[in-house]
Amino acid sequence: MLDTETRKETGSSERAAIVAALIEVAAERGYGETTIEMILERAGLDRPAFDRHFRGKYDCFLSAWQDQNEECLGTMVRAYESCEEWPDRLRAVAYEVIAGLSNDPGRASFGVEVLAAGDAARARRDMTMRVIASLIDAGRQEMDDPDSVPHTTAEALAGSAYGQIYSRVVRGAVEELPGLVPQLMSAAVMPYLGIEAAMAELSRESAVPEGYARGVAKKRADKSEQASSDGAEDYPPELARLPPGRHGLPREFVTHNQRERLIAGIAEAIAEHGYSGTTIAHITRSAAVSRRTFYEHFASKDECFVAAYDTVMTELRERVSAAFEESEEWPLAIKAGIEAMLQFLAAEPNLARLCMVEALVAGPAVVERYDAAIQSFVPYFQEGREGRPPEVLSRLSPTTEEALVGGMVSLISRRIIAGKTEELEDLLPDLVEFTLTPYLGSAEAAEIAKR
Amino acid sequence: MPPGRHPLPREFITQHQRARIIAALAEETVEKGYRAVTVADIVRRAGIARNTFYENFSSKEDCFLAASEFAVKEALRRVVDAASRVDSWPARVNSGLAAFLHYVATEPALARTCIVEALSAGPAAVERYERSIQAFVPLFRMGRKVAPKGEDLPGTLEETIVGGVFWIIYQRIVMGQVEEIEQLLPELVEFSLTPYVGAEAAKRTAAEAPARASG
Repeated sequence: MLDTETRKETGSSERAAIVAALIEVAAERGYGETTIEMILERAGLDRPAFDRHFRGKYDCFLSAWQDQNEECLGTMVRAYESCEEWPDRLRAVAYEVIAGLSNDPGRASFGVEVLAAGDAARARRDMTMRVIASLIDAGRQEMDDPDSVPHTTAEALAGSAYGQIYSRVVRGAVEELPGLVPQLMSAAVMPYLGIEAAMAELSRESAVPEGYARGVAKKRADKSEQASSDGAEDYPPELARLPPGRHGLPREFVTHNQRERLIAGIAEAIAEHGYSGTTIAHITRSAAVSRRTFYEHFASKDECFVAAYDTVMTELRERVSAAFEESEEWPLAIKAGIEAMLQFLAAEPNLARLCMVEALVAGPAVVERYDAAIQSFVPYFQEGREGRPPEVLSRLSPTTEEALVGGMVSLISRRIIAGKTEELEDLLPDLVEFTLTPYLGSAEAAEIAKR
Repeated sequence: MPPGRHPLPREFITQHQRARIIAALAEETVEKGYRAVTVADIVRRAGIARNTFYENFSSKEDCFLAASEFAVKEALRRVVDAASRVDSWPARVNSGLAAFLHYVATEPALARTCIVEALSAGPAAVERYERSIQAFVPLFRMGRKVAPKGEDLPGTLEETIVGGVFWIIYQRIVMGQVEEIEQLLPELVEFSLTPYVGAEAAKRTAAEAPARASG
């Protein structure tokens, strides 16, 4: 009989083997031609193994796609954080993406295939694109007048960069990708830094700069060194209490419960160091507990993060749901729900960052939850379909609600990345108008937003 | 076809049939997604015989490609028509984009079919989508003549601009905001013109009312 740990491990390697086989087979044969039998044959596994992890072919495709999106997001954000200056950060992201595609063309073709498989795959891709847009949008902070560039600019730049890369992948011209980076960079910096900076990007070397690759590697090495030298610091029990004031957590979080203190600790540590830069020592220091206590509650940083994420999302969901239920009229209920969400996030900048920004880079365990969290807000909007005339329903697609939630989350996380968490409540009218328009038309949506 | 004493020219009938089939494909696609649409659905919606479909198109995919070609041609015609009503290049971009967004807003089914569903319609459709983008590139490339350093601008700049505009439209369609798409005109004009004429001049043009084409 296997113990739980071993079973968990076998399960995850089984799942990984199926996903890897799927990506290979689909890249060779296309989505339509790929069968579950082919996947299993390639993976050397049997049908029960498949059924343990997936509901069917499409589910398996989506999971693999979700994994890839998550991994891609993770590497992009790490690349972004590996540099100090905004254009360097963006360049690092571009090279990271292109290196990934060039080293593994099977993956690139898988992306093309999976997008042909339906709306849900596109919706996940669009989530990734929104994060990329927010990394580009950070360029406005380099400007004297940060509000002078429309927000659609970053969205358009991200989308067209994607399109240009995609078309080269479809054409089988992956080798052209590195040469594309200076062009993409030039177009991306132009609206924010001006024409001179854009020209300078063009004259840069188009090969992956060695310094950058080393930079990331070095940073990773530094971190692990730091992590291993942390062990000595154990707090004496008399200091084992939350530092007053700094944490900015709601009262209900600040209990004597060690587990909750660790959760508060990771939120604070992450706000300061970012997810990838946070060590166990940072967490225990913020929580003012010993390292031993940490390991009594959590096996790893990831596990602690997941617990923190769940706690924050439960709180957020409860507040939104309570606000939504208070209003009988659907549009006003939506407005109340959004308002409750913005109030909570604005009042809790650390938690806002944790659940809206860092969750995207924290790895597969959180990615699934992030996705589920997005989905959990979808039904509120779906209610808006009830009783609408056919001409309104005809312009909605099965993924409209997902796109609305995604768009809303993207606007919010953009503010958080820009360090404007306190001003989140200013977004209320825009978000209300944006989310109600598909159901009510822009005039009525705007009227409710202004009320 | 209305029965008339004057028999309509053969070519007109064919054109009309094709347009009706294309419209039917677009409506069916919006309702159930391109992959799920069958030739039988299209035939039923268009109110024509199955044979008539196959006289015009060899397959569903063929019909889809024709829809996309039709839409791009029509969009280009409207854009060029609107642009030719004004003189300066920035004003032409303003008017041309206005005509383009207006077309998208008034033909939501066709727009969704060509812009959103193209990705589900197989490699030939993806290639067609790429070609649609390329069709608009020369209109922007003219801006290099008015730009102080026109020839030094990045080679794929026009691809970036057209691809960006398409992407924004794609996003709005998916979010069910296609009817509000014309409100984005000033932002998209600013986005498109800034690389050529600079941010200040781009903002000025974006604030002007575009020339309205006849439609």
